[in-house]
Amino acid sequence: MNLTIDNLTIEVPSGTTVLQAANSLGIHIPAMCCGEGRSSHPSCMVCMVKDLESGKMIPSCAMPVHNGMQIQTHSPEIREIRREALELLLSDHVGDCEAPCRLSCPAFMNIPLMNRLIAAGHFQEALNIVREEIALPLILGYICPAPCEKACHRRSVDEPVSICMLKRFTASDNERRMKNLLPATHENGKKVAVIGSGPAGLSAGFYLRKMGYTVTIYERQDIPGGTLRYSIPEEKLPRRALDAEIACLTAMGITMLTGQEIYAKRFEEEIVPGHDAVILATGDPIENPLLPFTLPADPDGNLFNRKTCVTSRPGIFGCGSAINSQQMAVRSVAQGKLAAIETDLYLSGIKPKRIRSSFHSAISHLLPGEVEEYLKESLHGNRIQPHEGWLHGFTPEEAMLEAGRCLHCDCRKPVSCKLRILSDEYQANRKRFSGPERKRLTKFIRHDLLVYEPEKCIKCGLCVEITAAYKEELGLTFIGRGFHVHIGVPLGNTLREGIARSAFFCVEGCPTGALSFLDQEEGVEYRARFRMTGKGWEKIGNY
Amino acid sequence: MSSSMNKNTNIQAEVDRIVTQYGTGQESVLPILQAIQQEFRFLPHEALLHVCKITEITPARIESVASFYGQFRFKPAGRHIIRVCTGTACHVKGSMIVYDAIARELKLHEGELTDSEGLFTLEKVACLGCCTLAPVVKVDEITYGHVKPEDAGQLLEDFLGKSVASNNKKRYRSNDRKTMQGEIRVGLGSCCIASGSAEVKRSLEEVLAETGINVHVKQVGCVGVCNQVPLMEIIKPGEPGVFYTHIKPEEVRDVVLTHFRPSGFLDRFRTKLVHLFDMAVEDSPPVTFFKYDADQRDTPLCDFLDPQMAIATEQRGHISPTSIEDYKINGGFSALKHCFSSMSPQEVADEIVLSGLRGRGGAGFPTGKKWQIVKDQKEATKYIICNGDEGDPGAFMDRMLLESYPFRIIEGMLIAGYATGASEGIFYIRAEYPLAVQRVKDALMVCRQEGILGNSVMNSTFSFSIRVFEGAGAFVCGEETALIASVEGNRGTPRLRPPYPAIHGLNGKPTLINNTETFSLVPWIIRNGANKFASIGTSGSKGTKVFALAGKVNRGGLIEVPMGITIRQVVEEIGGGIASGRTFKAVQIGGPSGGCIPASLADMQIDFEALSSAGTMMGSGGLIVLDDRDCMVDLTHYFLTFTQSQSCGKCTFCRIGTHRMLELLEKIRSGHGVPNDLTHLEQLARSVQTGSLCGLGKTAPNPVLTTIRYFREEYEAHIQGFCPAGKCAPLITYKITDQCIGCTRCAQRCPTGAIDFNPYEIHKVDPDRCIKCDICRTVCPIDAINVN
Repeated sequence: MNLTIDNLTIEVPSGTTVLQAANSLGIHIPAMCCGEGRSSHPSCMVCMVKDLESGKMIPSCAMPVHNGMQIQTHSPEIREIRREALELLLSDHVGDCEAPCRLSCPAFMNIPLMNRLIAAGHFQEALNIVREEIALPLILGYICPAPCEKACHRRSVDEPVSICMLKRFTASDNERRMKNLLPATHENGKKVAVIGSGPAGLSAGFYLRKMGYTVTIYERQDIPGGTLRYSIPEEKLPRRALDAEIACLTAMGITMLTGQEIYAKRFEEEIVPGHDAVILATGDPIENPLLPFTLPADPDGNLFNRKTCVTSRPGIFGCGSAINSQQMAVRSVAQGKLAAIETDLYLSGIKPKRIRSSFHSAISHLLPGEVEEYLKESLHGNRIQPHEGWLHGFTPEEAMLEAGRCLHCDCRKPVSCKLRILSDEYQANRKRFSGPERKRLTKFIRHDLLVYEPEKCIKCGLCVEITAAYKEELGLTFIGRGFHVHIGVPLGNTLREGIARSAFFCVEGCPTGALSFLDQEEGVEYRARFRMTGKGWEKIGNY
Repeated sequence: MSSSMNKNTNIQAEVDRIVTQYGTGQESVLPILQAIQQEFRFLPHEALLHVCKITEITPARIESVASFYGQFRFKPAGRHIIRVCTGTACHVKGSMIVYDAIARELKLHEGELTDSEGLFTLEKVACLGCCTLAPVVKVDEITYGHVKPEDAGQLLEDFLGKSVASNNKKRYRSNDRKTMQGEIRVGLGSCCIASGSAEVKRSLEEVLAETGINVHVKQVGCVGVCNQVPLMEIIKPGEPGVFYTHIKPEEVRDVVLTHFRPSGFLDRFRTKLVHLFDMAVEDSPPVTFFKYDADQRDTPLCDFLDPQMAIATEQRGHISPTSIEDYKINGGFSALKHCFSSMSPQEVADEIVLSGLRGRGGAGFPTGKKWQIVKDQKEATKYIICNGDEGDPGAFMDRMLLESYPFRIIEGMLIAGYATGASEGIFYIRAEYPLAVQRVKDALMVCRQEGILGNSVMNSTFSFSIRVFEGAGAFVCGEETALIASVEGNRGTPRLRPPYPAIHGLNGKPTLINNTETFSLVPWIIRNGANKFASIGTSGSKGTKVFALAGKVNRGGLIEVPMGITIRQVVEEIGGGIASGRTFKAVQIGGPSGGCIPASLADMQIDFEALSSAGTMMGSGGLIVLDDRDCMVDLTHYFLTFTQSQSCGKCTFCRIGTHRMLELLEKIRSGHGVPNDLTHLEQLARSVQTGSLCGLGKTAPNPVLTTIRYFREEYEAHIQGFCPAGKCAPLITYKITDQCIGCTRCAQRCPTGAIDFNPYEIHKVDPDRCIKCDICRTVCPIDAINVN
């Protein structure tokens, strides 16, 4: 069979689908409802292409090729119909891609995962997860105003999970805190100077050092810590905690130079020539006269790009209150990390590939009865109060109980979910077709291996075919018709009875988070970097 | 415990019996489920479990199939089933108000379908196909037409009275073989029966038995003149026939006696006596019938019938649907014989190609081309399927053809089988048409006995068998790939074409699927030649088309007209114009897949191309006439509610898209819309049209798009908060004008007490308690109730 796809001619055997033919030409067409070795019954309709002969849109995953076919796979019209298919699916999709606590954390910390690791007693792993995004967990564990807790769905049952204190707990043990501090990569020999040792400077230094840079932090005062030390009273942030966390940075090999006043002259003659890059984390510009003399302002009068931390001088970056007055230390910490990433991008010559909002499906508030579905996976009861008081924090036992209260509202397949990936790719607007009412979320967890969340299902029926292919006695089946069709175990049997031997294949085959493993943790290997903008978080490539 | 064990044993025994009858293969799943429901009036869980145990049917299949088809119930139903028809014609005549009234009468709470005593279960049904009697309610096997909301109580009482009476049915004397004095024909299609034809026939038999008058009573199929039923035609040798329309059972005696004399002296005497006695006892009932001679011109009958052309409905009103002799006398099976004797299969296929016949199921694919494709397949097994799954609300052509001309359709299928080399045929008929199923089954039986079906048909070398498959309440099964899935024992979900059924159909074999009407045109084409057929109609659309004309016309009915006739001719000449002095606003053609054509385009010729360029389609031929009191937004909402509920749920655009469209329409209809919603709706409608997998989804937006195209200002009015036609409940209020004479009728009938009882004073409607059931307006003797 000879056909033309996007003006490229190809010869394929008869019986080949348009999708397969396009793939063999290296043309990517999105698809969700078809699987290797499964019969193709098009349902999701995101694989639409245009048949130029008839002018009709056709689902490429099932359409067999015929001689002389002329196919177009990319055009604004095709992109729009695919996007609408995704948006219609999203209008009927109930679930959070990321937990609301994580989305509301300025540092985008993976809170639910931290909670699960603590609840399972894996404290060191929990700390590692926290440090992925937050360089100063012990300090922030005392002073963070915890916007995450305000977003916590658990609030609609009793009280939010004590996320902040749990984070502090992960770093509260000396031995644990000092582990895994060495740079993740080898020493790269490049030198970066950080001016200022407040939360932003310490954070920037921490991540740069982890990336293998030689880092020197310059501090005007005699002891490092900046506003953490001079603006926060002892009863809010014990000095031993501050010192202990700074000690971690020193232990990583960061050079901490205190009592260093950096004037414009010294900056130009010593700091800039002596380093490959400089990060200005000098705090409030009113108190620090350095900046106006060293940096030319852009036409709007700004010294820094608040989005990207860069300045008009190559190799010089800024973060924290130096850029704009920060009300929360956690924002400064987040920005410190961002400045570190930007510096790394600059020094390694990488240009960010794409910059735009990352896709998140989100339930803003729960409907009556939904919290019970979440509670199936968590411990009941009010917040655990540390019996030795706030200042002391949780004992390991208390921490495990408190972390067990987490509702696990994050999706178990945040990375592999095709609906999310494609919604991201096609910049789908999840609210475009949303109706006056949404479906009520349910979770089926009565299974040893998997969780079934029907409201995340796109009704492709791959699992129905898989259970049949693996000769399940009951398997899964379509129930009902039309808008109310759903997948279930026939004749009122349980999930465990329905999927007795094909759980692995069902989860693997399911294109969304509707079927996932109970203990699936995809987020761990996820190294996407985010930066904060006025609109929320934006993703900067994957590296 | 023991009683529940007993119950289970009974269920199991019953299921065993059913399975023995229908077989254990997966394709038997629908017939088995239908039989179980027939037995228990729902599907008991134990029965389903037992089916899985003793057949090849898996739990996954039985659950998915049972939950797919609308016919099945999972909860016990009441002793009697009340089906309120919600077809288009019934909808525009207020069937939902009737439904609500019956629900109130049964004291059903929100979400309940069965009354507390378990006597009645109330259901909605897509279409009973009695559109000219709208609104129609069917209780078990008894059909009530022209039901008004205030009649709900009376209707149930009447039914209970009837269902008791039917137990001591009288038997009438059968005809002894004396000289026939003539023939009396009574039409007995479903709608005729519903409007009282059966009673007329019974009364006729009674009179004949009593008087000894010896005439042949002939039951004929649908005459199409649904607006004039019950209809009786009296034929005496050597005299022109005389029609009696709107005849009532009690009037039959007088009519019969005018034309025929009782046979013997004693009979004559007795008749007089009894009759005199009757007259003395009761007042003589007012005469309601009209009498027309068959050769009389300018009668409503002539106006209705003259512009028509009978091909599919050839010999209508003359031949008995169940009599093969009648069919043969009128040329039946001569086309088939002609094929056998002097045409090769290829010549038959060529003839159909030459005739220009296009499929009458809606899309209008050239029939001959389809036949040729099936013929060209090299497979040994091929199937012929007659698609009688007429699910469109507002259409009843297939039902009428199946009920009235079963032999003609069988002949059409046989010719198709001969031409394409198929040897097995299937009638797919929806279960809501019990009379059609029965008549076809009877006809098949007769054909087998006569050697017209089976091995060597009519002593030729050609063999052909036909069976009946009953649909189970899924509109989408009218789509050919869904229909095949359903016959194979699957959920009725369509699949992507190609491959087309003509190449890869039932059980993977080449399958010719044609609509009922298409098959019924075939014998005529063979008998009269392709050229004659092709000489009728327009350049692209040949022959005739059967339409179900209903709605706000004076004369509704089943009509067969040449292609190319204008909408105006249909509405004004055949339909006799708009009823009760309202103005003609639009016609809805093609049901939920079609669209509305405004009165301004009424001079448009009806054919496939013209309709599609107007944004609608032929559909299977529902033609509902609308007047100025019909709201286009409401009507569109009605159609979309239907298609949305009939979506199989497979592809994204149809499953979610139609649902979102309906939500937007609901918002607009209830006065909560914003101008942007209209743009949004229009765009979504176009996407659903482009992106859906099968015809159902691709055409579901047609009613929306045509009404936005031709009646945009009505949508805009709703967005501004008012319904110009006074139809959309959330936007209207009932007010009693100063003309009120204080008769209290409205107050007595108001189901919610929204009108206080004040004799001789002007009444008032309390807007908070008013549920807009419309009863007050219909009972008011002086039209003092206004709807704003």
